[in-house]
Parts: sequence; C-alpha cells; structure tokens
Amino acid sequence: MAQMWITMGPQHPMTHGLWTLRVKVDGETVVDTEAELGYIHRGVEKIAESRDFTQITPYCDRLCYVSAMTWANSYIYAAEDLLEVEVPERAEYIRLISAECQRLASHLMWLGAYGPDIGSLTLMTWCMRDREMFLDLLQELGGSRMHYNYPRIGGVKRDIPVGFANRLIAKVKLFEKRIEEYEMMLDESTIWLVRLQGVGYANAEDMVNAGVSGPNIRAAGVNYDARWAHPYSVYDQVDWEPAVEKPTSVKGADCYDRYRVRMEEMRQSCRMILDAIEKIPGGKNTNYSNGDEMILAKAPTRAPEGATGFSNYECTRGASKFYIQGGGDSRGKNPYRLSIRSPMFITIPYVAKTMIGYKIADIPAIMGSFDPCIGETDR
Amino acid sequence: MGMRVSNEQSDSAAETCVATLSKRFGGSDVSSTVEHHSNSFKMAFVRIHCPPQHWPAVAKSLRFDHGANYCSMVTGTHYPDGGADRGWEVVYHLMRQPVVDQKPFTNTVHVASKLTGSDIPLEFEIIVTLPQGDEPSVPSVQNIWVGADWNEKETWDLVGIRFEGHENMHRVLNPHDSPEGFHPLQKQHKLRYHDFNEMYDDAQGFGRKPTDEGRVK
Repeated sequence: MAQMWITMGPQHPMTHGLWTLRVKVDGETVVDTEAELGYIHRGVEKIAESRDFTQITPYCDRLCYVSAMTWANSYIYAAEDLLEVEVPERAEYIRLISAECQRLASHLMWLGAYGPDIGSLTLMTWCMRDREMFLDLLQELGGSRMHYNYPRIGGVKRDIPVGFANRLIAKVKLFEKRIEEYEMMLDESTIWLVRLQGVGYANAEDMVNAGVSGPNIRAAGVNYDARWAHPYSVYDQVDWEPAVEKPTSVKGADCYDRYRVRMEEMRQSCRMILDAIEKIPGGKNTNYSNGDEMILAKAPTRAPEGATGFSNYECTRGASKFYIQGGGDSRGKNPYRLSIRSPMFITIPYVAKTMIGYKIADIPAIMGSFDPCIGETDR
Repeated sequence: MGMRVSNEQSDSAAETCVATLSKRFGGSDVSSTVEHHSNSFKMAFVRIHCPPQHWPAVAKSLRFDHGANYCSMVTGTHYPDGGADRGWEVVYHLMRQPVVDQKPFTNTVHVASKLTGSDIPLEFEIIVTLPQGDEPSVPSVQNIWVGADWNEKETWDLVGIRFEGHENMHRVLNPHDSPEGFHPLQKQHKLRYHDFNEMYDDAQGFGRKPTDEGRVK
C-alpha cells in the first residue's frame, strides 16, 4: 500500500492545544512523524524586556493556563537568584503548599483530559469535580480561579486566610480517598488497560538525552527530581518521597507507567501539603497583614548590568528553567534578556518520534500520556 | 522526611569538575569557575567561558568525562552596544543527572545524602561570546545531545544565531513564511504601542506607521 502524509491538528482532540502532528502512514501503521509548533507564540520573552521584574509575574502565570502557580514560582526563584533575596521561611511554606495544590489541579486536568482520549468520559466529570476543590483553595490565596499573580520577589502577595488551613486539610484528606476511587475505576477497566499497556515505550536514558524530564522520566524507573537534586523552597523539611515506577520492558516505560507515576505523585503532593500546613512557622491559623516581614522580604528592584540568575524548578510537566540577564532598560529595572525553558517544547518533538511503529489509534494514548500543554510550549 | 543534595556535595562535585577542566583545557582561553546561586540554598554550579572554536571539544569533554547528559536550555542574546568583541552571546545550560539504563521491573531510587562523585547532580553554565557582526555563528552540538536540537532551532529562529552543522534547521515558533533575516529577539526590533482603534481597524497591522518613536520603551 502506498504511504501518505496525513495532518492531525491544529484542531484535533489529540493535540490538547494548538499544534500540528504530521503523520506518515503505511496503512494503519505510523512510519514517520513531524511536529509543528508555534501556533500560539505570544512573544513573552520579548514582552518581558520592556516590563520590570514585578510586572513579569502575571505573564509567567499565563505561560501555562493549567499550572499558573508553578510557572510564576519558577520565574520568582530565578528573579531571586538575580536580585539576591532572602525569603522568609513562612513564605517558602506557603509557596510549597500553593505549588503542590497546583500540581494536584494540573494532574487532575491531565487525567480529566486523558480519559476522553481513551474513551472514558466519566473520568472527565470526576476529575473536574475534584479539581474545583483545589481551584477554590488557590482562589482564596490569589483571588482568581486560574491566574493568581500570587508569589512576589521576596515572598508572597498575602498570607493564608483565617480558616484556610482547616479547609485545606479537609479537602486534601477527602481527595486522598478519591485517588483510591480513581484507581478502582481505572486499574480494573479492561479498556483502560488494553489501550495503555504495551503502548508508547520510552527508555530513561534516551529520554534524558533528548531533554525529557519530570514525571515522564520517573515513570521509566529513575527518581530524578529537581525538588531534591537542585533544591529550592523547604522540600527537605516536609515528609515526601519522589514517585517512581518500575518499567515493564527493556524498551522503558509505557503509557500505563506514566499514568501510574502521576497518580503516585498526587498522593505524594497530598502527603506534602498535610505535613507542611502543620509545620508552617508562625502557626496555621495566624494571618499576617500584607507585606509583613513574615511573608515578604524587602527586595531590590534593579539588577546591575552583567548580573545573571537562573533556577531549576520542578513544574508539573517537568523541569522548567528561567535565565535572566539584568541591566536592561529603565536603568536596570527591566531584564536585558529573559529566557524560558519549557519542558514540553523539548518533549513534544521527542514524543512525536516515539509514535513510530504504532497504529494511528494509539497516537492519542501516547500523546496524552506525556501531558502536553501548548501554552508553555509556544510561550 | 524529604531529602536534598547538600551544599558540601554540590561544592565538592563542582570543585572536582573545575579542577579536571582546568587541567584539560589549561593553555587555552577556556576558563572555568565554581559559582553559587544567590537564592534559597546557595547551591554551587560550574560556569565556563569558552570561545566558539573550542566549544565542540568542551562539549564532548563535558558529555563524556563529566557526565553532563542533559542539555537543558540554549539562550542567545544580542548586544548591539557590547563592543567589537561581544556582539552576541550564547549561553548553554547543561545538567548532570544520575540516570542509569533501567532494567525491567526494577527502579533506581537515589538517596541524596548517599550520592558521591559523578553521581551528584550538577549544573553547568557555558558562556560562548561571539564578536560583533551580521552573521553570528557557533558550532552545533546537536550530535552530542539530542535535546539540543530544538533548543538550537528556537535560538536561531528567535535570535538569529547560526548553528554550524545543524541538520534540518527550520522556523519553529515564528511562522514558516517569516521574511529571511527576521529574528524578533534582536534588539533593533522594538515593541509597538498603538491605540485601540488602530487595532480594530487594521488588525493585521499592515497599514500601521511606525509613529511610536518616543513611546517605545
């Protein structure tokens, strides 16, 4: 049979956003692929050169619309490296809690979107129901549902509200039980197992060489995680361990391993949140006023020419990184250059190549299992 | 309890690496230093200044002698006012990850405090400075790290730095039919400001005049 190129996207449920996957097929089998990105390139790096360091945070929120808090935090740590800021410990705990709530919300969004890819529409409604709990919690902190503009250079915008701790604990404990419900539904579903197991193998060493990171390499059996390897915040003080799966083949992790590792990661996030809210310095039911030195340290607004800062951060989809050069316009108030590493920008071309050899029907299962987000890919 | 790589571990890893690099590239213009972050834990990393002609040798040494198996990010910067020797700069961020070839039905759980020698995760920052000119170019490291492939594509697309020997270079974030030589992160391109009526009458901006002198930040 003759081979031909077909185009999936930019409007296709498989893409989870706007991009094009060009697939060369021989009958039902994929023989070559090509990814085309850039449909929602907004030029955040260019815009940042004419904004001061505080004004950049909301743009970083909008890099990824399902994990805004982790992206804003990611930028803040790099800016603190550039501006040499010491952050109060209470603020670090609040950032940890907010980032882990965001990780839960983001993984739920992933699971909710992955369900319909496989054919389980029930999963979407369940996940949206639970995600709402964490969006409500984040709304209490940041004031809006998705884009919070919450972390500040030197701390956080405002303290946790009175009663937040109790609501947080109740919701996280409820959600820990819900994870078991998900597993009961999915791990015994024949359709789920048949579509996921033995599909989309990716080997740990290949993935690291190709620049893939985060849950996707932990699924292949190596617990490499920026939260302990390039530490930041107070992850060394709370109770957790990195989620890591055992791959089932010499070819590496399949889609099922990647699903398992994210479920385990949600458990670990719950564990972290419950531990951190008890250990938070200053007490969990105290509310410090805005700008109090317990939650916000003084930070310089200008960076000299030649100063640089960069920081690793474990985002929900892998390791993100910001690299900032100081000494831009407005006498150093703006960055001269701000560069963003997006984990998905590197992962999507790699995933496109892993599909070779599988059937067309496997493409949504493979693509969805890597958790693509096009907002951060195109920046 | 959670864990993390300690400052002593990262200091010792960075110092070992810098000592070996200084020995290997002693007589050349390659210089390496141990630097520290200024945020949270003040972790150590290795910063290397490298002229473009030595970059492939340094890259191979980092990859195969020092275990830098992960190309994290490639950043290009344009310095129109940087003097004759410094018109462009390419910064590579590499990482060392203790990853092994995993056997089926097993996993490797690293305990941070027990990692020693070349298993300690480490960051590398390599700064390649290029002279002033219209066609900055640097050797490609696509064949050393697969992960450098799309990073280099992006850097050429947005900043206009050519990567010698890069196969299959094409636009990734800009439209494919962008004019040749258009690289938006070069400093001669300014952000435009415009009124809302201009935006709605002429959404594509074809008829817009560059009347924004003085309003450009």
